[in-house]
Amino acid sequence: MKKILVSTALLAGVLSYAGGFRVSLQGVKQLAMAHTSAHAEDASVAFFNPAGMSFIPSRLSISVGAFAAGNKVTFQNTNTLQSTETDNPIGTPLYAAIAYRPIEKLSVGFSFSTPFGSTIEYPSNWEGKEMVQRLELKAFYFQPMVSYKFNDWFAFGASYIYARGDVKWDKAITQFGGELNLDSKASGHGYGFGFYFRPDPKLDVSVAYRSPVDMKAKKGTATFSFPTASIYPLLGLDASGKDSFTATLPLVEEYTIGLTYKITPKWLVSADFNYHGWERYSKLTLDFGNAPVGNQPSDPTVSVSPKNFHNTKTFRLGTQYAFTDKIFGRLGAYYDESPYTDENFIPETPSYNTYVVTGGVGFKLKQFGVDLAGGYAIPQARDVKNSLLGFYGQSTATAFYVGLGLSYNPF
Amino acid sequence: MKKIIISTIAISALLFTTSCEHEFDTDVKDVQVSKGDADFSKYVSLGNSLTSGYRDGALYIDGQNESYPSMIAQQMKLVGGGDFKQPLMADNNGGLLLNVGSNVQIASTKLYIDSFIAGAPDIKNANNNVATTVTNTVLAGPFNNMGVPGAKVAHLLAPGYGNVSGVLLKTANPYFVRFASSPTTSVIADFKAQNPTFFSLWIGNNDALLYALAGADSSVETLTPPAQFATYYNALIAEIATTNAKGVVANIPSVTSIPSLTTIPTNPLTSAVLGNGNVAAGEANIDNLNTNLYGPLNQILTAFGAGDRIKPLSKTAANPLLIKDETLAPLNAQITAAATASGNPTLVALASYLGATYGQARQAKAGDLVPLTTKAEIGKTEPSVPASLSARGIAFPFADKYILIPSEITEINTAIDAYNVTIKAAAASKGYAFVDANKKMNELGSQSGVSWDGVKYTAKFVTGGAFSLDGVHLTGRGYAIIANEFIKSINATYKSTLPWVDPNKYSGVKFP
Repeated sequence: MKKILVSTALLAGVLSYAGGFRVSLQGVKQLAMAHTSAHAEDASVAFFNPAGMSFIPSRLSISVGAFAAGNKVTFQNTNTLQSTETDNPIGTPLYAAIAYRPIEKLSVGFSFSTPFGSTIEYPSNWEGKEMVQRLELKAFYFQPMVSYKFNDWFAFGASYIYARGDVKWDKAITQFGGELNLDSKASGHGYGFGFYFRPDPKLDVSVAYRSPVDMKAKKGTATFSFPTASIYPLLGLDASGKDSFTATLPLVEEYTIGLTYKITPKWLVSADFNYHGWERYSKLTLDFGNAPVGNQPSDPTVSVSPKNFHNTKTFRLGTQYAFTDKIFGRLGAYYDESPYTDENFIPETPSYNTYVVTGGVGFKLKQFGVDLAGGYAIPQARDVKNSLLGFYGQSTATAFYVGLGLSYNPF
Repeated sequence: MKKIIISTIAISALLFTTSCEHEFDTDVKDVQVSKGDADFSKYVSLGNSLTSGYRDGALYIDGQNESYPSMIAQQMKLVGGGDFKQPLMADNNGGLLLNVGSNVQIASTKLYIDSFIAGAPDIKNANNNVATTVTNTVLAGPFNNMGVPGAKVAHLLAPGYGNVSGVLLKTANPYFVRFASSPTTSVIADFKAQNPTFFSLWIGNNDALLYALAGADSSVETLTPPAQFATYYNALIAEIATTNAKGVVANIPSVTSIPSLTTIPTNPLTSAVLGNGNVAAGEANIDNLNTNLYGPLNQILTAFGAGDRIKPLSKTAANPLLIKDETLAPLNAQITAAATASGNPTLVALASYLGATYGQARQAKAGDLVPLTTKAEIGKTEPSVPASLSARGIAFPFADKYILIPSEITEINTAIDAYNVTIKAAAASKGYAFVDANKKMNELGSQSGVSWDGVKYTAKFVTGGAFSLDGVHLTGRGYAIIANEFIKSINATYKSTLPWVDPNKYSGVKFP
């Protein structure tokens, strides 16, 4: 306990592996304060709320950042006494944003971000290999946006989302001693909008909505490999073992309300509430071109796996203290809910109710800003009771995040 | 400033105190396995083929090494269980030779899939069906796995069941001959002589199964009457109880959901099948059969109000097998009379034959079960009948032994239900652990099957993963699912904590 506090105090990083495959790493400064949203100091606000652009002090602002995110998932079966740890590679979420205010009332901007993604890698011969050996999920959001400032204290902004991504999924086919690799690019569209209020110089209020994006994989390649040749024709495959597939993966909507209050000129606190529409991920449907490897009596090439996600909430609390007008210290903590019950636990997207502590420092050098942040996640160990998959046991995880952000606010 | 930091830390601390369940309560690496109230130092398993590790229609080394008792024994070793010795066969092909001066083969080698022909497995016997294990080569025991393929309940009590001179007379069992301590001993005597501290007993399947696989033809195999079953079973339990060993007892799965009885449809006769792969030839065959057999029979039967017994064959749909149903009212005389009066010289000439052969014939329908072994008989020539009417199941009705009809299925299931009442009561009377193997096998037979870490096992032949190529016995994975049922029951009864096995780690069906 002491150790954790000390490391928090030392601003060693923290973050979470909680809500499905949503990755809360879209602003380094924001992460340091629990990834709260009502911070209109530079262009990094663009992802959180397009309307925030209208309150950026400088007319032009550019902000970029990168993170290193590591996590490890542990699964144990209390009946067989098997125990497995993942060997996940370090993830590197990125973002970049630009905001420009040609006239006082109107701001335009662009945000690039990676709000969804996950790479999970189990030992290839682990006991759950039939479900997943490796799953790599990436999504890039490209968001042009505008914001209109109606008056001194209120702006409205909106964005269009173009999302691209890819998915690579390796799993075993135990009955035939083989493996299946699913590989596809996917894309989708969405939108976002938000209201940003500053009713008092001390108070910022951000209300934002980001729509779901259905990532459609239209030209997926499924590659089957088996130790013996007879199985390919049996599954309706040619000797190459390749088949096509289509699928849709929902990147879900998010409602956010956040506020920042300056208790003293040097000290501010922020709080956020997020609501995530994970209910949309009720099932995953894979429609293969030819191979009758699905589970639908009416169409044996269609495989439907129930996911039964439910909507989740996140609560965030952060603070910043200005030691001088050049040096800032930040802390935060948040709680993120898992989007499914023990009965729906799936190893390819392990999720836990998670506490995360965050911290960071920021430096301002004339037009330049440099921010460092870290997060440490404490996912809650949970039971796994997925009767549909016959997957039982317990699971927990650890995760950490560190980030470096730069901003440039020339005029 | 200090105050601020302190209060922030306090908030974080508050969050942490509610979050102290990040770690597992108990890490499995720290779990101490316990034997509870049981003593596993000398475990001996009793049973039939399922206990021996028999699969793919034979007993062979790899199968024996994945027998469910050997899996259980492996887990028992973690808490003081001893070595588990099995009467291993001489090779991995299985099958048996009997030395009667020279070697004669008395059991076939294991089945394997040679290839797939039009999506259907072409199943053959390994090593060109040449066995190398000699029954008379008696192994030095004692053996922990005393599963004897083919044994019924009464057999475990029978002295001389391992006497080689009784093998061809079928009063002895070649598999027991291989490891019996003497020609006069019985399975139960050799069991008791080992002073086991723990036993498992899964016996009784063959009291019903062999009869079912023989199409419920009592001239081939008999169904043990439930009262007789109870007598033998209770005698067996009484014998076991004299050892003071603790143990586990399993009941009998219903036989009618096993792939051996559910794989072949009642209507396999398509134009292609009837033409040996040639659809045009099949259609010509159908025309011929309809003109000369099905059509006239349908006409005659319709006249006697039984037109639904046999209907003309279709060229577009799959047609049912022709079978003999001994529960039908015999219309022999009526058919003979009608054929005689028909004026058709062919029918007139065959009138009495037609009456005798088709008096209780009907087409198979939903509710009938066709054993896997019947598939090879479809279209085979029935000897000593008119050549044009000799194709079995097509023109000549399948005899009783090739088919199970609903009344026979009911008879078998009723007997098994009664057996299971006996078994459960016997286990309870001695306080033995009880395994509801029937329930687990029914789960396997259901649409949703049994899932383990994402792998779904069902009773579907070949691709279901749980049943071996004989459609009756399990694969290593199927046996592991059963082993876990035994382990669960042992743990619950004797407060032990034997770990379960991981079925996916064992072998399934091998593909070419």
